[in-house]
Amino acid sequence: MKPISFSYYRPKSLAEALDILAQEEEAKVIAGGQSLVPLMNFRLSRPKTLVDINGLRELAAVEADGGVLRIGALVRHQELLAHPLVVQHFPALAAAAAEIGHWAIRTRGTIGGSLVHADPAAELPAATVAHRGVLVLTSAHGERRVDADAFFYGYLMTDIAPDELLTAVELPLPSGVRYGFAEHARRPGDFALAGAFVEVAEAGHAGAVTWFGVGGRPDRQEMELSPDAASRGRQFAAALAELDGPEDEVEARYRRQLAAVAAEQAYQRAIASGRGN
Amino acid sequence: MQSVSESAAAGRPKTSITLMVNGQRHTLDVEPRWLLSDVLRHQLGLTGTHVGCEQGVCGSCTVLLDGQPQRSCLMFAVQAEGHDITTVEGLTPEQGLSPLQAAFERHHALQCGFCTPGMIVTVEALLRENADPDEETIREVLSGNICRCTGYQSIVAAVQDAARVRRESGAAKLEVAAKGQNEAAGGEQA
Amino acid sequence: MMQGPLKPQFTGARVTRLEDARLLRGRGRYLDDIDVPGTLHVAFVRSNRPAARIVSIDVEEALAVPGVYTVWTAEDCGITMYTERYDVGQPVLAKDEVRFVGEAVAAVFAEDRYVAEDAAERVRVVYHPLPPVLGFDEALSDEGRRVHAHRANLFHHTEHQTEGFAEAFASAPHRAQATFVTHRQTGVPMEPRGCMAQLDAATGRLTVYVSHQSPHQFRSQLTELLQMPENQIRVIVPEVGGAFGIKAMLYPEYLVVADAARRLGRPVKWVSDRTESLLADAHARDNRHEVEVAFDEEGRILAVRDHVFGDTGAYPFLGFPGAVGEAGWATSMLTGPYKIPHVSITVDCVFSNKAPEGAYRGVGGPVGAQVQEGIVDLVARHLGKDAADVRRVNFIRDEDFPYQTATGNVYDPGSYAESMEQALALIDYERFRREQAELRRQGRYLGIGICTFVEPSAGAESEAGSTPYEAASIRIEPTGTVTAALGLGPSGQGHETTMAQLIADQLGVDVKDVVVMHGDTDSAPFGGGTGGSRSGTIGGGAALRASQEMRQRLMKLAAHLLEAAEEDVELVDGHAQVKGVPARAYSVRDLARIAYTDVARLPEGMQPGLEVVVRYQPPLSTTYSNGTHVALVEVDTQTGFVRVLDYVVVNDCGRLINPMIVEGQIHGGVAQGIGSAFLEELRYDDSGQLVTTSLMDYLLPAATDVPRMRVTHIETPSANVGGFKGMGEGSLIAAPPALAGAVSDALAPFGVFVTEIPVHPQQILEWVQGRVHSA
Repeated sequence: MKPISFSYYRPKSLAEALDILAQEEEAKVIAGGQSLVPLMNFRLSRPKTLVDINGLRELAAVEADGGVLRIGALVRHQELLAHPLVVQHFPALAAAAAEIGHWAIRTRGTIGGSLVHADPAAELPAATVAHRGVLVLTSAHGERRVDADAFFYGYLMTDIAPDELLTAVELPLPSGVRYGFAEHARRPGDFALAGAFVEVAEAGHAGAVTWFGVGGRPDRQEMELSPDAASRGRQFAAALAELDGPEDEVEARYRRQLAAVAAEQAYQRAIASGRGN
Repeated sequence: MQSVSESAAAGRPKTSITLMVNGQRHTLDVEPRWLLSDVLRHQLGLTGTHVGCEQGVCGSCTVLLDGQPQRSCLMFAVQAEGHDITTVEGLTPEQGLSPLQAAFERHHALQCGFCTPGMIVTVEALLRENADPDEETIREVLSGNICRCTGYQSIVAAVQDAARVRRESGAAKLEVAAKGQNEAAGGEQA
Repeated sequence: MMQGPLKPQFTGARVTRLEDARLLRGRGRYLDDIDVPGTLHVAFVRSNRPAARIVSIDVEEALAVPGVYTVWTAEDCGITMYTERYDVGQPVLAKDEVRFVGEAVAAVFAEDRYVAEDAAERVRVVYHPLPPVLGFDEALSDEGRRVHAHRANLFHHTEHQTEGFAEAFASAPHRAQATFVTHRQTGVPMEPRGCMAQLDAATGRLTVYVSHQSPHQFRSQLTELLQMPENQIRVIVPEVGGAFGIKAMLYPEYLVVADAARRLGRPVKWVSDRTESLLADAHARDNRHEVEVAFDEEGRILAVRDHVFGDTGAYPFLGFPGAVGEAGWATSMLTGPYKIPHVSITVDCVFSNKAPEGAYRGVGGPVGAQVQEGIVDLVARHLGKDAADVRRVNFIRDEDFPYQTATGNVYDPGSYAESMEQALALIDYERFRREQAELRRQGRYLGIGICTFVEPSAGAESEAGSTPYEAASIRIEPTGTVTAALGLGPSGQGHETTMAQLIADQLGVDVKDVVVMHGDTDSAPFGGGTGGSRSGTIGGGAALRASQEMRQRLMKLAAHLLEAAEEDVELVDGHAQVKGVPARAYSVRDLARIAYTDVARLPEGMQPGLEVVVRYQPPLSTTYSNGTHVALVEVDTQTGFVRVLDYVVVNDCGRLINPMIVEGQIHGGVAQGIGSAFLEELRYDDSGQLVTTSLMDYLLPAATDVPRMRVTHIETPSANVGGFKGMGEGSLIAAPPALAGAVSDALAPFGVFVTEIPVHPQQILEWVQGRVHSA
């Protein structure tokens, strides 16, 4: 359980980080390292070069600007879940961040790391998809923006190129919609077995559900959400039937069941969040 | 099989780093891949930080980095440069026990003692942030630290008691509290 | 309880532990904390095949890694751990064939563990795969391959039937059957296993540090396998970070380390990482019991038939092949606290291509208790009777002791029915039954499970070996402090405190003035170590007897000096005085000084010095603890999750030495039971790969999984000195059946009857949704 040898860089600026990524073969960015280091300890991840971006404080800001909340890639889960702007505009995201791992994981793990790692059972990729976020990918050649929905390919696979750094994620400030979140894990702090973000319009029944833990990536499905619980249950079941689940039949059935239960709870929370205001 | 002589660590260059641990500055040469847990234990001799899984699950290796609990098995020592590291040794008074440690003793909140330093570090951080955590909060915080011996019950009790003592004494400074608490603990024994 | 006139001050009290300060300060010295300059660190190359012929091993590339000292294969270290009874040997490094995933194939010795792992990756092993044998049925089938080519997979078969069984079984008014399964689990002490060895250049003696439960047994095994004289090996067990049975075993890695230290002339150290632990620590459980029970209208159980299948994995651990130990315990204790006159028991244990099975806390106890309580619950359900009532009909009662079971045990007195009645009162059983019915109408499913366990303790035979006695040496130093040494191997049980309590009371000194040493074969007298819940009882007996003998010496000396009759002298607060006359006294310190340095004043015939060694062997080959666990759970039929809402324990382990420590043991055992019932499973896939190789897959109970428990005590003393009974395992024996029974009870409206643990939420939903039926 010891990593292989690697070269270590601790760039002092974003430009320096991007230069290193452009020049070094098999380089890997380390931010919080809470997913990466276990994989390195197992020697499943074997980067030749590690680029430590923890010193780039410019990536650690949360700011609202022009109808968008921009969350720097280095924002740690523990900061995210308590940040006033996040709590105000994205309570479901704050709630989800609170479910990540344990305290000692949340104090170090970052939103950027979680998004790039792209574990299908992780909260933040799903949260980003649910809130129709945009990922800002930067390289020595410039910047590109990718819709969250297009960023996640599948199990631990994303659109990021080897020379790119995820610098921020931008979430449009919600207007006329509310969000709810729920998940089910075997033990608190474990990766979710299944979970859901539910979006409901303040007027009418338009909505969307973003599922995670069932398929290989978070899936957002728009749907008219019936006000009747039984019909909603059937809607969720039908929507989940379209997702590719785990191979094992019992496990797949179980994940879908949990996801449906989570979606209903998330729906109730979304509705309740409106009452509070 | 023939033996091969040990050679200089060719291909594994070391880098010189300065670590601030428990208020003391240490300059040492490390390979970038050396985990902070290993460097604390085997380079600095601070063996109170224990290694139970190196998978980020068990919490035995928890230390404070700038006052925040973190897994020292999920961080490279090179990354800890420029940060204040506190281990269980740094939370222990010269003599006797800290109020939290004394509460653990009173409540039999440890058996084999292996997870204990990680528990102490985590709970110390908790009590600095939250003077009066309820049982649910305590259990949620402890859920990142696995104990195989106690069933957690006595640990929860110790944390509640330590929080109470801390509130009542209004103790901000560890040193001041430590003395009084040790006397109290001694008085209760047997 | 104490012999003699003393009123115990410490025994029976909640004395805080003498161990705690060092552990809390981070100063405990565990195996990996021992750093010796020049140490070679070992990484093992482990088989990634469950069964394969080794075609070749190429270590050249590994040897070329800078910092590597050497690499060993079976050619370099040919030690084999051979069990004559089964004619099977386990080479410490696999020779010719690998038989489980995780089996050590080669050992790399390097300047640090990082380098050792670099090189281990570069050892090229070419395997020719063989079809793995992965379960009982496969192992027993005619088509199944042999795990060991020279012998059948079925290596242990026993049958036991009481006279008249067939008739009792056939003529019973009712019969029911069930198959009980416990999947593979393991102890997972938070400190992984490890070993470090060093040759003393001056004397040629080999010092072996090891995280282990039985220092002397370990030394005996090394003596034999390394073919070294016993006095040339010193075993030191440092602080042990949890053991739970798995550290009572002898493992191949230790022999490689010890052999390397003496042959390479360098200190050598290996500490298991967590993945290695899950692959190659002793596995446990993995049993199937096919049970039929015959009973009458009242629920009285008349006869039980049990066919046990145990899978011990690829090799038998020396002296303790796990499946045999487990099946032996489970079937021996099958009737538990119940008067069941007839049993018919068949045991079949097989080899398979899985990791070797050894001891884990409770050994076969939890499995046996699962069957024992499972059949009672089954009978209750068949007859539509209350589960507690069926227990009442079957309990062994006070007037029945000593009671000989149908399996041949003789139980000393216990409190079976009383413990259950108290436990039911604590949880308010009658009220719960009313609430349960109401909640069911609201769609909430709560249930109660009961386990009244009987725990054989302080047995002559256990995983700690067959040493029916324990030894204690006590010496009062010339300045009057007390130093005791025992052959135990504690791993968190607090022996330094409990033994000091017993000794301090006898010698009239403060508990803090007694230092208890253990774990060093150079200073501790030969003893059996810790295992099978023997330390408190047999070790405590030895400590008591030794301190009583020391006390006699002190009294005799004091009487002589005070010119008083021995019976007129008492030991109080560190002084020997004429009864009621504190002015006429000698302090223990004075007596010690005189005994060592002023020997002219000793009575005639008394040897100088104050030192005794006593071995204590209890009068009974086993003393039986008991108690009742009641678990109250709620099952969420939407998610399949089970939450433990309440948990009560009424425990009877005879006289208590330290209730605080006893309760700590119980809390911990219940937590492990929660893991066993709901979370923990070592899973092999169809190709024989272990898929649970991290603590992300092998789930341990966390603080949020364990409820607040309520524990009370009954004290039915044993006939052993002090009246103690062992209690290290009962809580893990009783918790899994209580929890499984609670799930069955909660889901009774769905016809669910749990017979397989751990119970997974997926299964629960399949049952509740009627897709598959349990039992």
